[in-house]
Amino acid sequence: MSTHTPTTHAHAQLDVQAIRQQFPILGEKVHDRPLVFLDSAASAQKPNAVIDSMASTMRHQYANIHRGLHWMSERTTEAYEGVRDLVADFLNAPSREEIVFTRNSTEAINLVAHSFGALLKPGQAVLISQMEHHANLVPWQMLRDRAGIDLRVAPITDDGDLDMDAYKALLADGKVALVSITHMSNVLGTITPAKQIADIAHAAGALVLFDGSQSVVHHKTDVQELGADFYTFTGHKLYGPTGIGVLWARRDLLEQMPPFLGGGDMISTVTFERSTWANIPHKFEAGTPAIVETIGLGAAIDWVSKIGFDAIAAHEAELTAHALTRLATVPGLSIVGRPRVRGGVVSFTMADVHPHDIATLLDRNGIAIRAGHHCAEPLMRRLDLSATARASFGIYTQKEEIDVLADTLVRIRDFFV
Amino acid sequence: MNTTTAERDALYDRLIVERARAPLYAGRLSAPDVQGDGRNPLCGDKTHLDIALDGHHIQDIRHNTRGCAICAAAADLMAEHVRGNTVAQALAVSDRFRAMLVGSPSLPVVEAQPAPLGALEVFAPLQSHKARIRCAELPWIALKEAFSHVDG
Repeated sequence: MSTHTPTTHAHAQLDVQAIRQQFPILGEKVHDRPLVFLDSAASAQKPNAVIDSMASTMRHQYANIHRGLHWMSERTTEAYEGVRDLVADFLNAPSREEIVFTRNSTEAINLVAHSFGALLKPGQAVLISQMEHHANLVPWQMLRDRAGIDLRVAPITDDGDLDMDAYKALLADGKVALVSITHMSNVLGTITPAKQIADIAHAAGALVLFDGSQSVVHHKTDVQELGADFYTFTGHKLYGPTGIGVLWARRDLLEQMPPFLGGGDMISTVTFERSTWANIPHKFEAGTPAIVETIGLGAAIDWVSKIGFDAIAAHEAELTAHALTRLATVPGLSIVGRPRVRGGVVSFTMADVHPHDIATLLDRNGIAIRAGHHCAEPLMRRLDLSATARASFGIYTQKEEIDVLADTLVRIRDFFV
Repeated sequence: MNTTTAERDALYDRLIVERARAPLYAGRLSAPDVQGDGRNPLCGDKTHLDIALDGHHIQDIRHNTRGCAICAAAADLMAEHVRGNTVAQALAVSDRFRAMLVGSPSLPVVEAQPAPLGALEVFAPLQSHKARIRCAELPWIALKEAFSHVDG
């Protein structure tokens, strides 16, 4: 297996036990068994740093932001806007004004489909891939139906990699205005060659958006190095709270794009006849935002950054390699997707046992995985599957938990066959 | 197997596992009088029913199911149970089956003799697995769909 981190440095070793101590939920029992949580790709658990920061905000330092003339409002505004600096730094964005807070990655993509989409003309096209989450498919279908653009789909190989030749061919006529592709598949674990994808898109006159929901969790993200024009991610997969996501976009694009939602905070002046828009990023942040959640996201970024992506990536590469080895020993089990470069997500099926039965029986043993189409129905059809089971790993996952998963899968198969 | 065996077996009764693996009523009929389909958009499971009627009696029934063990066994045990029933009897069983799954104490059915569930009672533990109730209901939804084309 190859990964984005070629070597495991001794200095980048994680103290998993010390990390687990910081996640209170990992001490819980499910059906009288210790919780084995292998569903972080759906949503990650939260460390004390995040929980405490949100509770402390609500206990000690909370008011609405951007409009208050009192001490509490000013302090809360500072904390909220401080997270914008943290996120800019986290993505290596050229400026803090390019960071737009949204509810999640889905809303960030919808924002781009709505506001960048408003600049597109009939006949132009948006290009996605076969392995997109519904969040990076449905908004473009809606745009297509409303704006008369084309929606193109780049195929994947049987191994689960983007078919680069087909991708290039789909860009050849110069009609594609935007390529919108996942940076890491939530089903196959594929980490897409983002830099190469961006270079090819730019050479064909297209811009590129990466859905980083899965990938920002696993390795350092540098939007400038990737050559991205738009980048989205969500807080709750990054050990932060739900209800807060991020859109990064190049300043000139955000400035050209009309607002998404209208309301308070996004205006400059308002009369009954017309309104003018606030400067970016506020133009895209209508209404009172998720103040506490944003501050929680800041705590999550601080916390993850202290551990460092060298250590996180090395740990997850080791877990993924271990999982692929161990799961291969389970009779009847097939791994879905063998991408060249992958993150800590492993989908599988078992002969004669439906993924939902696997998930229910694992749950009876305290093991939480995901089963179903993973909000990627067209990908399931491409793979000729109705569903898969999926185990996904996080910063707190232990090798022993993967062993428990593999051993339990053997017993489940015995039960059914 | 281990300490959770009892719990597991409570949900996945041997009968469910056997019927999922080796169904007795799977397949198609050459000349069905009515057909019904059920599809669960949340998981992609689907079932197709072929039903041969003799007047208002279900003379024969076959299902073609792609789904989890709960869904596949529910289709097979449903076919076994309603074969020979009148349409009205089968629909009464359907109501009673649903009432059992959701743990409803009162039945919406106005009849002196409630329809007996027999082997279908193996699905009763689903009461405490709300997320899986729809798996067992899918064939019954297909049955209702099939009968929506039948008078009285």
